[in-house]
Amino acid sequence: MIEVKNLTFSYSGGRQALRGLSFTVEDGEIFGFLGPNGSGKSTTQKILTGILKGHGGAVSLFGQDLSAVHGLAFFQKIGVLFEFPYLYANLSALDNLNYFASFYPKGQRRDAGELLDMLEFKPDFLKKPVSSYSKGMRQRVSMARALISSPRLLFLDEPTSGLDPSGAVLFRKIIEQERKKGTTVFITTHNMVDADLLCDRVAFISNGALAALDTPKRLKEKNSNHRVVIDYLYRGQRETKTIEAPELDMPFAHDGILSVHSQEPTLEDMFIQYTGRGLS
Amino acid sequence: MWRSFCALVRKDCRMLASGKFFWMAAGFLVLYTAYVNLGYIRFMQMEPYHVYLYDPAGTQTEKSPLVQAVSSLEAMDAALLADANGVGLDASAGDVRVLLYRGAEHVDRHRADYALSLLRPTASRAPEVLGTNTPEQKARKEITCELLFFELSAVGFLGIAAVLFKEKSMGVVRVHAVLPLRRSLFLLSKLAVFLVSDLIFAVLLTLLNVGLRQGAAALPAVLLQTAVLSLAMALTGLLCALLLKDFRQFTLAYLVIAIFAATPVFLSANTSIKFDWIGWHPFYHVYMGLKNAFFGEAIPPVYCMGSAAAIALLFLAVQLAFRREIGREG
Repeated sequence: MIEVKNLTFSYSGGRQALRGLSFTVEDGEIFGFLGPNGSGKSTTQKILTGILKGHGGAVSLFGQDLSAVHGLAFFQKIGVLFEFPYLYANLSALDNLNYFASFYPKGQRRDAGELLDMLEFKPDFLKKPVSSYSKGMRQRVSMARALISSPRLLFLDEPTSGLDPSGAVLFRKIIEQERKKGTTVFITTHNMVDADLLCDRVAFISNGALAALDTPKRLKEKNSNHRVVIDYLYRGQRETKTIEAPELDMPFAHDGILSVHSQEPTLEDMFIQYTGRGLS
Repeated sequence: MWRSFCALVRKDCRMLASGKFFWMAAGFLVLYTAYVNLGYIRFMQMEPYHVYLYDPAGTQTEKSPLVQAVSSLEAMDAALLADANGVGLDASAGDVRVLLYRGAEHVDRHRADYALSLLRPTASRAPEVLGTNTPEQKARKEITCELLFFELSAVGFLGIAAVLFKEKSMGVVRVHAVLPLRRSLFLLSKLAVFLVSDLIFAVLLTLLNVGLRQGAAALPAVLLQTAVLSLAMALTGLLCALLLKDFRQFTLAYLVIAIFAATPVFLSANTSIKFDWIGWHPFYHVYMGLKNAFFGEAIPPVYCMGSAAAIALLFLAVQLAFRREIGREG
């Protein structure tokens, strides 16, 4: 679906934003693009969505070179959720969605009401102006806007930003559903929970270069120290032991196990290890 | 493409309606019409100078009924003191002596000549009437032209910039960059809405203030000039809105345009003040084009070509600025 080879980009001021990125995204894959602010995530997404021109290296989408696919047909095939919920504040959710939907062929459009219902949007607000919505409600309308054209390739920038935990769970469920339909999803985020739970593969980007690329599980396994931490009671005292994983036959006297913690690193630990930087 | 354009036009109309733009335009139309018909024209129709004559021997036999006789020089002094614009004629010593309070030199000459002409009303030749461009009609055309120019260059310019600033602040400009839509349509729809709105405004303002017959005769040329000015100002407004960061910066830019661009044009076109360099000022030609349209003067082809080229260049500049805006960091 997406093939990027040695992608470079510099802004007009001379600042080099991307330094030779190479990666591929397969059809129907959920691909996470992780990096701190200013690392080049948004620039990469803007190049892939045709907003920024003048990149170096080779980029192909839908099996065609980027310069050849950026016609109206290309934009009919993609859906983009921006980091912020960009909507007409004076129009209602339905008016916004019907307006944005009007640019796509009829057969491709999804029903705005059904989409909002799926996103558990409060029905009382359907006809009220967006200016009266909470951030979470705006994010739901923005997600509906990205999905309204039944895109084959979905770009999501911080999809669960501004949502409460149940909203985040719902969004992850919807992204999974989209993938099941065959949609390829390119997620740009610094939310490690989203990346860990959703993505088939993740790429870590730092200072415009790829620091690592693999499945979240393998990234963690590769760097695991294969230890577990066990809290237990012994003669009325709380004790803690760290042991190597192969020794899990509890080689110590105890009255009862209180908890067992594997020492597998989190994805965030991995990010810091690979890039030397935190995500915030 | 047509479907997309219609969707954009509908959206722009809603944006303008929610910003009360159409109400504002209607309000300006009422205000201008009231000003022209109830204020400006009445002011232009004010009475001529009063003329007072002291002629104890009754030598001025042909005098006009507009001349008011006074019984003494003291009475004349009292009349002129009360009516400082008035002109006194003292015929008590044979030759007629003109008495007045000093104003501007050329106006004083006019006042004196006018007063003396009233003593020989039959001697002044009736002018040959070339047309119906009466002083009132001329005044109506002039003031309508000025108000239309102001409306197009100020209100329309501010209106289109305000709409784009609103869209920029909502971030929706960036959404349009990833829609299956020709980017130029996003700009063209705004231009079309403002152009139609300005043309309707020009038609109503002209007919209501110049009159149906005279107004209708001037309309084709006036609408052409309106279209030129409307497009040029709307494109300038779009360019400023795309290049400047916020509406406050835009307001400052607008002040600069209003003071340094429009003022010399109005002064050169409507007063005796002339600047050597005014021929290089594009607004001057646009203003004179509009004025000539109201007075039925022919539009030179060079002007039409220059206007078309300027609009095309402005449109290219706006497109470049628009591309820059949508690629900007979040």
